[in-house]
Amino acid sequence: MILDQLILPWLLAWLVAGLGAYLVAVLDRLMATGSAQAKSVWLAPLASAAWLMTQQATTTEAPDAPAWRLAPALYLALAATGLALVPWSPTLVGVDLSTSLVLWGSLEALATVVIFLHGWSANSHLALIGAYRYVALGLSYLLISMFVLIGVALPAESLRLTEVVAAQASLWHVVSQPLGLPLFLVVGLGLTFWGPLDLADSEDLSGGTAVERSGPPRLVWALARAAMLVAFSAIAATAFLGGWMGPWLPGPAWLLIKSLAVLVALLWLGRRLPRLAPERCVTLMWVLLLPLSFVDLIWAGAVALWMA
Amino acid sequence: MTPSLGTHIAFGVLATFAVLTGWRVFCTDSMVRASFFLLLSFIAVGGIMILLTAEYLGVAMFFMMAVEMMVMALFMVMFMMNPAGLNPMKMVHQERVAIAAGVIAFIVLSAVAVLSDFPDAPLPAEHAPVISLGRELLGDSMLVFETAGVVLLTTMVGVVVLSSRRGRYGRADEGSMPPGLMPGGEPAGQPSEEEEGEHTHHHH
Repeated sequence: MILDQLILPWLLAWLVAGLGAYLVAVLDRLMATGSAQAKSVWLAPLASAAWLMTQQATTTEAPDAPAWRLAPALYLALAATGLALVPWSPTLVGVDLSTSLVLWGSLEALATVVIFLHGWSANSHLALIGAYRYVALGLSYLLISMFVLIGVALPAESLRLTEVVAAQASLWHVVSQPLGLPLFLVVGLGLTFWGPLDLADSEDLSGGTAVERSGPPRLVWALARAAMLVAFSAIAATAFLGGWMGPWLPGPAWLLIKSLAVLVALLWLGRRLPRLAPERCVTLMWVLLLPLSFVDLIWAGAVALWMA
Repeated sequence: MTPSLGTHIAFGVLATFAVLTGWRVFCTDSMVRASFFLLLSFIAVGGIMILLTAEYLGVAMFFMMAVEMMVMALFMVMFMMNPAGLNPMKMVHQERVAIAAGVIAFIVLSAVAVLSDFPDAPLPAEHAPVISLGRELLGDSMLVFETAGVVLLTTMVGVVVLSSRRGRYGRADEGSMPPGLMPGGEPAGQPSEEEEGEHTHHHH
């Protein structure tokens, strides 16, 4: 029981978080540089991680000590918790909670708090601006995420992720709810402030909430963002692409392939989508994407009634 | 279902954590810190609710309180003109009244816990907390909850309209001007050009 319920989810989540974060770094470099320097693509993330590990962890004049120390670790913990919720097969689930979909939603909400604290606790203005920017954006896309996820739960008549997957036996949600996955991908870029939605740690703020970070904590912060992107991809594959379902291969293999596809799509979108100013981004979220998520929810409800 | 030893230990740890972080809310000197200590306390309470097999309510506590405390911290900082929320400030007021109220509440709640006769109703084997909560919310109590929901939504839309970026006097990022006293008149309450030149260095 202890092996099943404590050690297995723990190992599964951390293994995927660690390997996945490395994979994110490799893939992102591959997309940026092309395959010409393939060797450095595999080694460069390890080299920069080792370099960060040997650097001194500087601090600011008067940080909020607990939040300053804990924020990167807490963000990584949220990512690992998210990975523990992912069902790899009908039986291989880290934490099979009857409300795992809602727990994922609350991880997104808690991520807002942790990212805010990361920037706020530094007691430095660029970091603080990044923190407040993230709150404005985070509150905007949290609602989109909630509506899209409710739409996914409707056909399953359950908030349990395994039953959400089981409800896609006849038709995946990416087909039956065409607006869901695109909207959810925007949420994913926002949650990890990746690519065009990287407004919290952006270049115009010299690194935003991470501007004062150096050494090992900076590595943890980068690792946490990448791990969160992996966790998000796995959840998106579970909620929209039928999770473990597929012919020939075993369940975990299908989930890996689908998560990888979502991950590559996110990284590609992160490199291709144009950046927006934060205030325009908030307007876009509230005026365009939030109403679209209402449409998605109504659509999902109608389809669920029609198919029932 | 008798709770296991692990459940007892988890309850003890979570309850202690909830009380300690709740107490820290009043010891800290910053609104942001106070909000997030309160959040930690609520998260521990949410964990206890999950132990009580109220799985939906416990998890809902996490996301509701996370968003709520974040918004509360943000709004307090905005209204207090303390951009960082790092300036020290006193978090306790009317201490005598508060102490008296706290002692009375503690005595009453302890008396309830110690003296009342709790029902012994073991959970049915097929207990489905999410489904039974859904039936409760959308069954007999549906009218009450739906009315409250629509009222809250209306309030939210109203608040967004009132506080939207356009503001009362036009879009904030285009330089907002108050309307004139007469239709089509000069913006009201603006200092005239020469007056402003004279009094640049005076404080009104």
